Amino acid sequence: MDVRRRYVIPGDTITSGPYRPEQNVTLVGEKKIVSTAVGVSEIYDNSVKVIPLAGKYIPKINDLVVGKVVAHTSLSWELDINSCYVGFLPATDVFGRDFSAHADELATKLRTGDLVAARVANFDRTRDPLVTISDRDLGKIDSGDLVEIAPGRVPRLIGKRGTMIQTIETATNSIITIGQNGRVVVACDDAEGLLKAKKAIRMVNSMAHSTNLTERVKEMLESGNGAPQETAERREDDGE
Amino acid sequence: MGGREATMVLLDENGIRCDGRKVDETRRVMIKAGGLKNADGSAYIEFGDNKIVAGVFGPRDVHPKHMSDTDTGILRVRYHMEPFSVGERKNPAPSRREIEISKVIKEALEPAVMLEMFPRTVVDVFIEVLQADGGTRCAALSAASVALADAGIPMRDMVAACAAGKVADTVILDVNNEEDQAGQADMPMGYMPTLEKITLLQLDGILTPEEYEKCVEIGIKGCMQVYELQKKALSEKYFDGENGKGGRGQKR
Amino acid sequence: MSEIIDSLKRARIEELLEQGKRLDGRAFDEFREISIETGAIPKANGSARVRIGDTEVVCGVKIQPDRPFPDSGDKGIFICTAEMLPLSHSSVETGPPGPHVIELARVVDRGIRESHMIDVSQLVIKENKSVVGVFADNVVVDYDGNLFDACSFAATAALLSTKSPKWEFKDDAPALVEGSEADLPVGTIPVSVTMGKIGQHVLVDPNADEWQCMDARVTITTNSDGNICAMQKGGHDGFTLEQIKECGKTSARIGAEIRKKFDGISAGSDTEQ
Repeated sequence: MDVRRRYVIPGDTITSGPYRPEQNVTLVGEKKIVSTAVGVSEIYDNSVKVIPLAGKYIPKINDLVVGKVVAHTSLSWELDINSCYVGFLPATDVFGRDFSAHADELATKLRTGDLVAARVANFDRTRDPLVTISDRDLGKIDSGDLVEIAPGRVPRLIGKRGTMIQTIETATNSIITIGQNGRVVVACDDAEGLLKAKKAIRMVNSMAHSTNLTERVKEMLESGNGAPQETAERREDDGE
Repeated sequence: MGGREATMVLLDENGIRCDGRKVDETRRVMIKAGGLKNADGSAYIEFGDNKIVAGVFGPRDVHPKHMSDTDTGILRVRYHMEPFSVGERKNPAPSRREIEISKVIKEALEPAVMLEMFPRTVVDVFIEVLQADGGTRCAALSAASVALADAGIPMRDMVAACAAGKVADTVILDVNNEEDQAGQADMPMGYMPTLEKITLLQLDGILTPEEYEKCVEIGIKGCMQVYELQKKALSEKYFDGENGKGGRGQKR
Repeated sequence: MSEIIDSLKRARIEELLEQGKRLDGRAFDEFREISIETGAIPKANGSARVRIGDTEVVCGVKIQPDRPFPDSGDKGIFICTAEMLPLSHSSVETGPPGPHVIELARVVDRGIRESHMIDVSQLVIKENKSVVGVFADNVVVDYDGNLFDACSFAATAALLSTKSPKWEFKDDAPALVEGSEADLPVGTIPVSVTMGKIGQHVLVDPNADEWQCMDARVTITTNSDGNICAMQKGGHDGFTLEQIKECGKTSARIGAEIRKKFDGISAGSDTEQ
């Protein structure tokens, strides 16, 4: 597998070759493909994309997100989902089809400030994303600490087939809920485990593109003090 | 400050300017990406004695609602000077000058920012001039562009800015405050380096057609120098070692 | 700041307070690290950049001749302002300041004014005609709670670092005396200490999270003699007599420690404390 990676900023020309432009790039003229974000460009097979290192979450249908209740009307809640749009959670999703605006008080279920694990049910940019919490593992989050990371680095935190997150969970005896919107909730009964898990997540966030990241996280988790030296990491790739 | 010579030599016989620069030399420029905790993106620039901070929020909900556009996002820019940023204390309320500069900076950034990707939202750019010394709009625009990239707002290109001008019948780069006051022309420019487009252009003063062409050319050279520093600022924050919001230094 | 704190964090803050701890590990009467840098704005007559945690304030002092207020022709003018820049927090809107920013500016001004830090009687160029005006403008660049103390420290440091031009009264107008500069007539050094109350716990220097959970607060300014010179209570709850007495003692004790940070600052100095 040949992936060519490089650090780029907006306006940087990634290639003039015959590639298909995908996320976070734009075509200039006939064939010049230019980055639209600060991030890491990837040329893979015949496509070009940039994994952004900054920016807000852009909702995608079926994504798991961690939202914060910021307001409610008599018919719905508004969730801050770390995006440019607010998540729209209709009351019927929680109370069921026989929801009655007279009888059912929304604040009895979710209050302002509550965190919820939700799934994006529908989104097309013309309306605010519709989210649902009516599924297994969804709903109000009752315990844990919130850690925020760049949404672009969520795949790295999960790791290949979940290896990274499993490593952290096992080593610290914690349960970690990862929202695609960069919100991560860490629940752990042991104070030191909690601290370590949070440290590991922050480490992935700040070193998302270094080599042997899993190894280095493991090393930190196994070290007694839970305080890794966050040394400046070197870049892994052939780029620059 | 103070005690300025009545007859200041803007350009001496060796082609050296009042602050010791050559005709095609910019002042010292330092740009830092990030630095503010609450803003979605930010940048700080020192351009000569100009000290300017820019912060970006968004894309986010538009308030007031009636300003929102169902087909595209909108850009709002506020350029503002602190009361202590200039010689005589400035009234903190926005002046007509600040409102005009806000508008030209906004229109200089709009060609770069891909607002169409975020219908019904706004991107707010706040520029605060802590100390002014001639050429604030170019420094402000350059910082705003870095702050937008730092906020992860999709952009077709960066926008870099620098002024050209004329003193003592000579075309020069990056007009400072004294040269602006006593010189013959000041031409601020903003430029997108990859797309090769001029997005900010103003002129105060008289230029011959030949001088005009020379001014535009040297101005673009200045913009390209600023562009290199914008790249450096973003690289330092994102690609060198620890990065992300946590990488806030004690000093700027 | 109207940002909504998530309920998990709020619960954790309250839970820790019961155990005598704060979320960031500080003692109840402990300030965050305070950094004071003077001379940040060389074009101003005096300036300072103050950081308390992630709160950042820049203050610039401008000195210029002014007409005295009609009822006090034998006194110069001292005005201290504070503004929250819109880039300091997502909830700050452009336009005229709201009540909490006006309160901030007035409390900071009052603390310095009532301490008589600046002896305005020495700022007269010509009685009833022309006086020196001292403007200390604070701008909040980044917000992480406790703006009262950050603005107060910034203004105090900026005033201490100020080199004032001199004027003489000639031909019925103030004329600048070239090449002559002086320190401001500074007497005492005021230090404001803000304490927040969450439940029954009183915390010094609340950060943004604590500020968000706070039921009431009090800002107490003491002078170099350790006397109290200005106070402001805020928030939707009250203090008991015991608590407010304790706050008075705390402000004098913590204030004396913080005052040492201003020791090295003098006119024209360019320092980082």
